[in-house]
Amino acid sequence: MNYEIVLWLLIFIPAISGLVCVAAPSPKLALGMMCAGVFSMALLALSAIGAVLLQGEILFAASNWLFMDALSAYNLFVMIVVFCLSSIYACIYFQQELLHNNLTIKQIRQFTSLWCGALASMTIVLISNNLGIMWVGIEATTLITAFLICVHVSRESLEAMWKYILICSVGVAFAFMGTLLAAASAKGVGLGSHNALLWTTLRTNAASLNPVLIKAAFIFLLVGYGTKAGLAPMHSWLPDAHSQAPAPVSAIFSGFMLNAALYCIMRYIPIVEIATGHSGWGLNFLVGFGIFSIIIAAAFIVFQKDVKRLLAYHSIEHLGIIALGFGLGGLGTFAALFHTFNHSLCKTLSFFAAGRLGQIFGSHDMEKMSGSLPVSRVWGIGILCSLLALIGIAPFALFMSEFQLIKTTVDTHAWLVLSLFLVGTGIVFVGALGHAIPLAWGTNQKSYTPVRTTFFEAFLVFVPLAVLLILGLWMPKALFTALTSAANIIGTTGGTTSLAGVLQ
Amino acid sequence: MDSPMEIMMILLVLSDFALLGLSRLRTCISIVSFQGMLLGLLALVSQWGSLTLRLVMIAAASFIIKGFVFPILLRRGIREAGTQQEMEPFVGYIMSIIAGLVMLGVSLWLGNKLPLFALGSGTYLIIPAALTTLFTGLFLIIARKNALNQCLGYIIMENGIYTFGIFSVVEIPLLVELGILLDVFVAVFVMGIAIYHINREFDHLDSDRLNVLKG
Repeated sequence: MNYEIVLWLLIFIPAISGLVCVAAPSPKLALGMMCAGVFSMALLALSAIGAVLLQGEILFAASNWLFMDALSAYNLFVMIVVFCLSSIYACIYFQQELLHNNLTIKQIRQFTSLWCGALASMTIVLISNNLGIMWVGIEATTLITAFLICVHVSRESLEAMWKYILICSVGVAFAFMGTLLAAASAKGVGLGSHNALLWTTLRTNAASLNPVLIKAAFIFLLVGYGTKAGLAPMHSWLPDAHSQAPAPVSAIFSGFMLNAALYCIMRYIPIVEIATGHSGWGLNFLVGFGIFSIIIAAAFIVFQKDVKRLLAYHSIEHLGIIALGFGLGGLGTFAALFHTFNHSLCKTLSFFAAGRLGQIFGSHDMEKMSGSLPVSRVWGIGILCSLLALIGIAPFALFMSEFQLIKTTVDTHAWLVLSLFLVGTGIVFVGALGHAIPLAWGTNQKSYTPVRTTFFEAFLVFVPLAVLLILGLWMPKALFTALTSAANIIGTTGGTTSLAGVLQ
Repeated sequence: MDSPMEIMMILLVLSDFALLGLSRLRTCISIVSFQGMLLGLLALVSQWGSLTLRLVMIAAASFIIKGFVFPILLRRGIREAGTQQEMEPFVGYIMSIIAGLVMLGVSLWLGNKLPLFALGSGTYLIIPAALTTLFTGLFLIIARKNALNQCLGYIIMENGIYTFGIFSVVEIPLLVELGILLDVFVAVFVMGIAIYHINREFDHLDSDRLNVLKG
């Protein structure tokens, strides 16, 4: 199989289906074309991911400007899982809105084409070897997804959209400054115009980069991409955007867009670590941002009234946990990558449930939604179990990855980090449990007749839950090798030799 | 004052101060347009001896987009919204200028700290001027309430980064450079559409009154 063409197609299939969706004659056809685009891209991506993760190849295309190694393949896998599930869900969700005449053909065209566009730009972020193009991809996701927030134009959604564009654009502009500084730090190495911004060349020459400039670059990059990833204190756009966007959009925001921004930071970690002589200078910042995000999110989770805002603060908490894992290094990197998948799957499910229950109850206010279990068995179980998984209840996979993280802090004697982590997650545990129990079993002031659910809805709830449960008890060998090789790329132990071989 | 670069850098910093001190939106847009044209020329002047097709294209693209397209878009925004000036910004105009002086001081200090490379005479001002422009943009986004002013702030910030980019890294490939320019262009365009919707829905452009979502 010619993987050079496959890498190109991964970008072009969603981009073209996005263009086609603009001209869709009916809502059903628009949704169908969107699903066709997403699923055909996913199938192709799986073949490439298989080649990288199972056979250990590194794919290159477009004279090394596009590439896929274990780290990008793993993240791409998480992305297509999130996008495929969310696309099925979008069909169910918008079917309901169409039934109630809440949606025009114009809005559905706009949604489907932007949805595919968002997929294309996130793919660019993941498979580009050029750090400049990676930045272009991140900025493009901001611009494309901005209109997804206000599919339904209202005062609240406009407010959320304005905050989102302004804060994220400014943040990402900082990341651009960081990218320039990183390129400037390589000036002494004597790379040509074609190679100056390639991750592979920077990684191979990381030891000879100017340490002062790369440090300055990393601060800009961390603040810039951190804004997009929703790390506190740059998170202020996140709860607004997540709560105002339609549920499928919140699901991809939380399930993957934040991870895409964090992925950019992951790429710079090994470069900075090597350039600063493995001093752990950059990692300390990640630990700091991670812990701060967990604490801030914990403080806000306790007082939430809106279920989608609650889930948004959970995203801040979990992105903080992932950043903390990268900051700790070693087993922590492995745990953080594992947590990425667990969190994305679980958060996608919880936004699905919150969105459908919101449609049934006509509100996202948790008080008005209480007693959801008798009203909709399937979605009630969905929201309850996903909230339980998010706060780290034992057999679910999120517990396992958090447990590995705790083990890392004990191994590295990071007692202060451990205690702050336990305090933060402890508050989240109690606070979110206090929301989850009335949400499932509480008594509602109004009485609702139980809602029937289709097979697809049950599928969307029980398959992710089953996967989370299985991964919590048993890790397949393929996943273990994939995680290890991806973690090695960040942990500076892997990558160099194999890449040097390819480039010569 | 022997090199044209020095003069251009001084003009850049002076235009930053004008933006900090002026309240009429129309004048601010003209100044941002002037900055855009200045930066387009700057890319050419900086490499006068060794002009390449790549440089000419980038310079022309940024000259046209920043000098003409953005101002047209923004002036249309003013016409639609009917706002002429910002009445009560968070930080007053005199205080803004004083803040500008502080930012210039910090930029000069930072410019000395960063081990970037001198590119001939008159270049010691480049990094401070770029950083001052960056900070000015950021300051305007924070200190002004009007959504149009915040959009201007974003463009100014981008101008600062662009200036920095021309001198610190000459070897950015054309494709990347054009991608970046396209992104900035679309960003301003998207902000323009958002401003249009906000104006239609709320009848004002005060971003501090967009305060329903909390906590």
